[in-house]
Amino acid sequence: MRWEVFRQAKRGDYHKHCGDVHAPDREMATLFAQIQHGRRMTTESLWVVPSEEVTEIDADDTAFGGRTDKAYRWATAYNVDASFAQEVADSEEEQAEVEQSRGDD
Amino acid sequence: MDIETVKARAGPREFGRADDMPEEYREAATRMLQFHANSEIMGAYLEKPFIRQSPSVDRKLAFSAKVQDEIGHGQLLYRAAEALGVKTREEMLDELARGDGKFLNCFHYEMTDWAETPMIAFFVDGAAMKRQATLKQSSWTPYAHAMDKICFEEGFHVKHGEDIMRELATGSRKEQRLLQEAFDEWWPRILQFFGPTDDRSTHHDFAADVGLKTMTNDELRNQFLNAYVPKARKYGLEIPDEPRIRTDEDGEYYEVVEADLDWDEFFAIAKNEYPEGLDQIDGRATAREAVAWVRDSLTEADAGGPGATASAGGD
Repeated sequence: MRWEVFRQAKRGDYHKHCGDVHAPDREMATLFAQIQHGRRMTTESLWVVPSEEVTEIDADDTAFGGRTDKAYRWATAYNVDASFAQEVADSEEEQAEVEQSRGDD
Repeated sequence: MDIETVKARAGPREFGRADDMPEEYREAATRMLQFHANSEIMGAYLEKPFIRQSPSVDRKLAFSAKVQDEIGHGQLLYRAAEALGVKTREEMLDELARGDGKFLNCFHYEMTDWAETPMIAFFVDGAAMKRQATLKQSSWTPYAHAMDKICFEEGFHVKHGEDIMRELATGSRKEQRLLQEAFDEWWPRILQFFGPTDDRSTHHDFAADVGLKTMTNDELRNQFLNAYVPKARKYGLEIPDEPRIRTDEDGEYYEVVEADLDWDEFFAIAKNEYPEGLDQIDGRATAREAVAWVRDSLTEADAGGPGATASAGGD
């Protein structure tokens, strides 16, 4: 049986998918996950999930956002200065980064 | 974990679902998150009519995107609240419909004219974003994670709100007049957004001690005034003489004269006893009831087993 492993590097971080393991049951899966995915890099926590419990939907199945031009949804579309408030400027910058990488990943 | 350990360890994103948190922490975090989630939902209902009332297709698209965002933020926050194990999402939504759920003062007022929209979309969202940016450092990790996504999206909301204000402020004399009237009406409410000064805030000390929040209402109000008063002036808005706001010798805003604000109204709102606010609560409860059949049909499909249903809504 295959299990997907999500690793959290440090407290407060997101759990990110880092790989999988083979194991006959949950207990063995957590053990193998520790050995295979929590040994070298600093690890705070692992989530171990049966692979068949993960449901996937991909770009062939559906039309995700991000590929169509929806400029009105982006802070960058509005020609007013965001620098007056740090948190607004930060948000705009994060959005600009995502906008630029659109289609790259 | 006992409360002293929580206080000793309190820091940004320190606690999560795997930690055994004491009841006092879970209740305080639930109170904050539920208030925040309710506010997202009630704010969305306040702005929803302006999808229809938008003067252009661009504004219509932006308002519908924004309302969709806010409902998603509400859902995100209910999940972060639910993870504390105190209340389920359904309980919180029921409380909101019954008039027991609390939410931001500004969303208890009616908004009827287009010229009012920047009051919410720029000033109130801007004030909310000030607070939300600090909550990225909350000790309850699901709260901080929700803030990552919410703050990412909010930049659009605030800039869109400013763009509407710019358009009105540089428009016809009538538009300028309507904008000023809206500002006169909303300004005291916006000043009350951060609540009364800290010595009268009952919940702050504990929430700060356990790292749920990192900044006082006074600090946030001050930062907000320093950023947003110059913006209002830039667009030719006159700041009303009352309520008075005082500056120190460097021109930094440091105090709102509290006696100039209507605290009876504020506390009536805080108890969900303000007539306009009750209309907002009832309006939402009615809308929720009207689409109960959608939820019911999803639940019925759920009973059909895994894969029998599409998931509802999006963030």
